Amino acid sequence: MLHSTSRRATLTAAAFIAAGTLALTGCAAEGGEDGSTTLSFFSWDNEDVMGPVIEAFEAENPDITIEFSNAPPVVEYISTLQTRLLSGTAADVFILAAENKSNVIDGGYALNLDGESFMEPIAEFNQQTYSGADGTYGMSVASWGGGVVVNNDLLAEAGVTEFPSDWDGFLELAGTLSEAGITPYYDNAQEIPMTLNALLGDSFSGDPTIDAQIFEGETTFEEQWTPALETFNELFTEGLVSTDVVGLGGDQIIDEFVNGRVAMIATGPWNVGNIRSSAPDMDFAFMPFPAPDGAGYLPGAASPGYAINSATENVDAATAFLEFLSSPEGVELYNAQSSAITTTSNFDPVLDDSLEAIVPDVRDGNVYLAQIAWPRSQDVLNTEAIARIQEMILGQISPEGVAQAMDAKLAESDG
Amino acid sequence: MTATTSLPEVAPTGGTGPSHPAGTRGNTLLRLRESAADYVFYLPVLVVFVVLFAIPVVQSLYWSFTDFSVRSPEPEYVGFANYGRIFNDSSMMTALWFTLAYTIGTTLIVTVLAIPLAVVLNRRFVGRNLVRSVFFFPAIPSIAVLGLVWGFILSPIGSGVLNTVLDAVGGLGPVPWLSDPQLAQLSVILVGVWSQLGWHAILYLAYLQSIPSDLYEVATIDGASRRQQFFTITLPLLTPAVTVSQLLLLTNGLKVYDLPFTLTGGGPGYATYTMTQSIIQRGIAQAEFGQASALAVVFMLIVGAVVLLQLAVARRLEGRIR
Repeated sequence: MLHSTSRRATLTAAAFIAAGTLALTGCAAEGGEDGSTTLSFFSWDNEDVMGPVIEAFEAENPDITIEFSNAPPVVEYISTLQTRLLSGTAADVFILAAENKSNVIDGGYALNLDGESFMEPIAEFNQQTYSGADGTYGMSVASWGGGVVVNNDLLAEAGVTEFPSDWDGFLELAGTLSEAGITPYYDNAQEIPMTLNALLGDSFSGDPTIDAQIFEGETTFEEQWTPALETFNELFTEGLVSTDVVGLGGDQIIDEFVNGRVAMIATGPWNVGNIRSSAPDMDFAFMPFPAPDGAGYLPGAASPGYAINSATENVDAATAFLEFLSSPEGVELYNAQSSAITTTSNFDPVLDDSLEAIVPDVRDGNVYLAQIAWPRSQDVLNTEAIARIQEMILGQISPEGVAQAMDAKLAESDG
Repeated sequence: MTATTSLPEVAPTGGTGPSHPAGTRGNTLLRLRESAADYVFYLPVLVVFVVLFAIPVVQSLYWSFTDFSVRSPEPEYVGFANYGRIFNDSSMMTALWFTLAYTIGTTLIVTVLAIPLAVVLNRRFVGRNLVRSVFFFPAIPSIAVLGLVWGFILSPIGSGVLNTVLDAVGGLGPVPWLSDPQLAQLSVILVGVWSQLGWHAILYLAYLQSIPSDLYEVATIDGASRRQQFFTITLPLLTPAVTVSQLLLLTNGLKVYDLPFTLTGGGPGYATYTMTQSIIQRGIAQAEFGQASALAVVFMLIVGAVVLLQLAVARRLEGRIR
């Protein structure tokens, strides 16, 4: 009896294993017998954003089925992608993030997209962002740019009616707000502050190769970063911004803003919906970051680019998918679902009114983000920069000391 | 009193009477079958150990001597270069210092508080189960989520939850809990203590309930005070629990990542930066698997040394108490 029960259990288990194996074999099939193709696609946008885009593509291309998967940005997406690339299980089409583009491009994991018709409407800045030594490897259809989000009601309360366009005017505005008993400004110091990125972008705008020169040893962080760091540090040395900002996360800063406890914050367009839902009556607007010589660059970057896996067997289907994603219909759907500032030449994005003042700079590519402009060791340098900037804010080291520490970390990282 | 039980004799498998060689062979076979059965039970654990620990450790050791990264998927031997880079990293010493401070701080404070808490929770009072649940609750949610919540509670500005309470109660100005390096370190340690205290108190409670009540009755008859009973009965008999609890606290403390990462992001500066944060940054974010493996090997040796030291000290203490 025992033996027969055991044998039956064994047979049942074997049947389950066989059925499971067959099911898995079915999952791994690239295409159906009817000539249809299953194209895998891995993104950090979720299904709410990409679902309608994929549905529209599949309606236009009934022979292609998209197998969609996603992981949240940035670290989780990158680690998942890198693991899949190394194990040979990466999707046919994936998004190439600026944070690890050099790893993917130099490792030969993506196809060169130069000369493809779908690259024609892509903005020059977006193409440059995802270019390697011999071509472009990511098709980026959008960019983002941060701004100083201003609570117009609090500015009016302090008697201010106009947002300044230069740095001195910004310091003066912060002083006026402070005298009126209003906390003037918060910028997230648990990442490289947006204000500093804007100041760096402004100081490098004459020469976009500065970062490459630093990494090739032709110049140093000390030489290039110190002036922008000194300017940024005036906010703290003049007592206009609380040093407590080093202990505040992004969510806490938004919370302070929507509750009217701070007049201005630095953030990106992804928080527009959050601000509108949390403070529906607030009169606010995104303003360009003031620079010493007037409004200059914004902190920002090209959005991730769609890349085709160099190991894919479905190049034609992948090409068709990218053709759709860069078409006016595909870009319109993506803009509608994500509220992204699309930069393609074939579609004018529909955006929230509050972004009006920063959209032209974003579409023109006047955006800079240090941590993705670095060609290598981005994460190690990013951590070092954040730590040292926090120490500068707390008065423990000088702006020059921050830049020197960055040079030392780069040297350490290069061994 | 000792009880003696005679084991039933095993009947010889063949033959008519118990012959010595046949009995020995039978006993040996029986022992082999029994030990084979034991090994069958060990097998799942052994498989898990080999697949999830032994193989990854050997792989990490191998990769630590290579330049394996996402850019270099075909690893090449680089000798001790990865190890050399670890000891040249200026942030590593700060990370090591805070990791040790967190580990020692949480281990000491949790041990000092959890034992008296367990003694209190072992007494009979109204709502005892509710109080036990309340203390155990912080062990349930993800510590990463708790870190985010505590970020709002310990916010260094005036609108932070704790600062609002301090202002309302005592008119105290905002305390820079997370923006002052020393206070940030203290805050991370205290939140770490809060999150682990209840769990370890329940562990001690389980051991307390196994102490025979006769011992306390005899001590009471002999006129021992509660304090004397605690130090001469409870504490010595809890020594094995202290060993287990401290081992878990030490290993969890040395591996800590999620709490400082979500509460302070490792700042201000490198004040709350930990060893695991550095390993994860190198290995996952930076995809320098060779470098991260070297870091993991060094870290494993440090953790092993600390744990062995703790076990040696604990065994010596247990020996003295016996």
